[in-house]
Amino acid sequence: MTIDQYIAFKLSLGVLATLGLYSVLFKETRFYRFFEHIFLGLAAGYTLVATWTDTLYQVWWQRMMGQFQGEGPKMAEPGYWAYAALLPIGLMGYTVFSKRNNWMSRIPIGIILGMWSGQQILVWWNTYGPQLYSTMQPIWPTNWSSMTKPPAAGLSPEQAAEVAASLYPSQALTNVIFVLTFLAAFSYFIFSFELKSKFLLGFNKLGRWLLMIGFGAIFGSTVMGRFALEIDRMAFIWIEWIQSLQNLRP
Amino acid sequence: MKQNRSVWDKLQGIDRRILYSILMVLTSVPLFITVALPVDPDPSSKDFYATLMAVPPDQTVFLQSDWTNSTRGENGGHMESIFRILMSKKQKFVIYSLADPQAPQVFRDVMLRINQERESQGLPRYKPWVDYVDLGFFANAEGTTVSIGNDVRQTFGSRRAKDETGVERNVFESPVLQPISKVGDAGLFLIVTASNTIDYAVQRLSGKVKMACACTGVIGPSALVYYQSKQLEGVAVGLKGVYDIEYMMNYGLNVQGADGKTMVSFSEKPTVTAPPLTEGTKFGRGSKYFASLHAALGLVILAVVLGNVGMFASRKKEKQS
Repeated sequence: MTIDQYIAFKLSLGVLATLGLYSVLFKETRFYRFFEHIFLGLAAGYTLVATWTDTLYQVWWQRMMGQFQGEGPKMAEPGYWAYAALLPIGLMGYTVFSKRNNWMSRIPIGIILGMWSGQQILVWWNTYGPQLYSTMQPIWPTNWSSMTKPPAAGLSPEQAAEVAASLYPSQALTNVIFVLTFLAAFSYFIFSFELKSKFLLGFNKLGRWLLMIGFGAIFGSTVMGRFALEIDRMAFIWIEWIQSLQNLRP
Repeated sequence: MKQNRSVWDKLQGIDRRILYSILMVLTSVPLFITVALPVDPDPSSKDFYATLMAVPPDQTVFLQSDWTNSTRGENGGHMESIFRILMSKKQKFVIYSLADPQAPQVFRDVMLRINQERESQGLPRYKPWVDYVDLGFFANAEGTTVSIGNDVRQTFGSRRAKDETGVERNVFESPVLQPISKVGDAGLFLIVTASNTIDYAVQRLSGKVKMACACTGVIGPSALVYYQSKQLEGVAVGLKGVYDIEYMMNYGLNVQGADGKTMVSFSEKPTVTAPPLTEGTKFGRGSKYFASLHAALGLVILAVVLGNVGMFASRKKEKQS
């Protein structure tokens, strides 16, 4: 088999699998199920091997056993036998399937939860600290010479730096909308006391509307993503596969 | 009893298989027409490109590839563009995956394709060990990210790769990783992702290294929040992000072309400039798919409008009867 024939064969199998999985759009059939199971089986098998070769073997086994310099007998890296203690701790996780011994599974779970919980303060701050800070936006323009930020083309470096440092009315308006959206969306989650004033109720309602608009935008972005995947499959069939068949021509 | 259904009723009850067929035809036809549609890239994409182009050539880029073939339509384009940019800049980089064991094979396929493309253009191949180092897969994305932040030499130190002579050596002996003693020594920490590994990176590496992200449309909304709060230097979202980068690879950012025209200006940051690429392919997967994306989105808008008009028309008819 030549390399071109191999590529064409490989891509033909890919096309068959694509059609098989897309056939669910028509109806869920055995044809679809067949390819679904092949896909799941391949993924599970690949993951199992990759977890050993790329992770357990290199990160755990080789460190535990150490490494020789070339053919040996000198050690390039000594073995750390303490790594052996990780195996029984890891295996304890599987005792969750035994009614009698499932208490042991709590040991690895406890270690993981303890480590995870201890790190959450830093995680929370790293995630939300800069976001809270960036919410504090200036809302009063510092430069009224133009409604919008002027284009950079043709400006000297000093002028460009001044433009970059100024807040123009259109930007200030954007910041006002941002801060209002933040406060309105935030007010929607006030459940500690009953909102009675008309202003707060209206602001709360505005928050709900803005949240809905936000969810709509997120959904739109998701839809764009799904289309990109479908377009790529079409390109795979109509361009890559057809090209591979054309390469078979003498 | 069969009722006489109006056109609007029929439109609302249209068989989904017909819609799928129309979608497939509409997205397939434009694939044969490559058009460079004029576009104003998103600010997040402009910052992404500017950040990547501003990395000093002597600094290594960390490239975390957390996607597989299931999101090739978006992340494939991101990865190809990033490879083209890094190779054009002769930038050394280290590449690895945290999210999926299949991911390394996927980026290796892209690397092979881009290297073949460069060879066909008379450009040199990017060589493992000398120009880049492939570290493969690391399980437990969150744990590995913590470890990278704490001690990158310990995290990657177990990996070995073949040098130019074929001898297996520790990856930190390579010209790519030799200057790295902590993650902050990297010129940029770049993540191409279809999952929440971007959250782990922000949570665990904030303040330690400059970060940017190329992600799918699904991950985009959460990644853009990090961009807004400057936790990420730049973000390229979905297929639009791919096309944005390709557009700037061709025209640069805040840079005048030969005709004196600035094709992409960044009015929010007029002092930021990034030149176009000087070699290799510039318009790739993004420009090939962009027209199809427009066709698909057009179909959705049409379907939403027709559905709503149909619904209101049916309600009106019901009220009248």
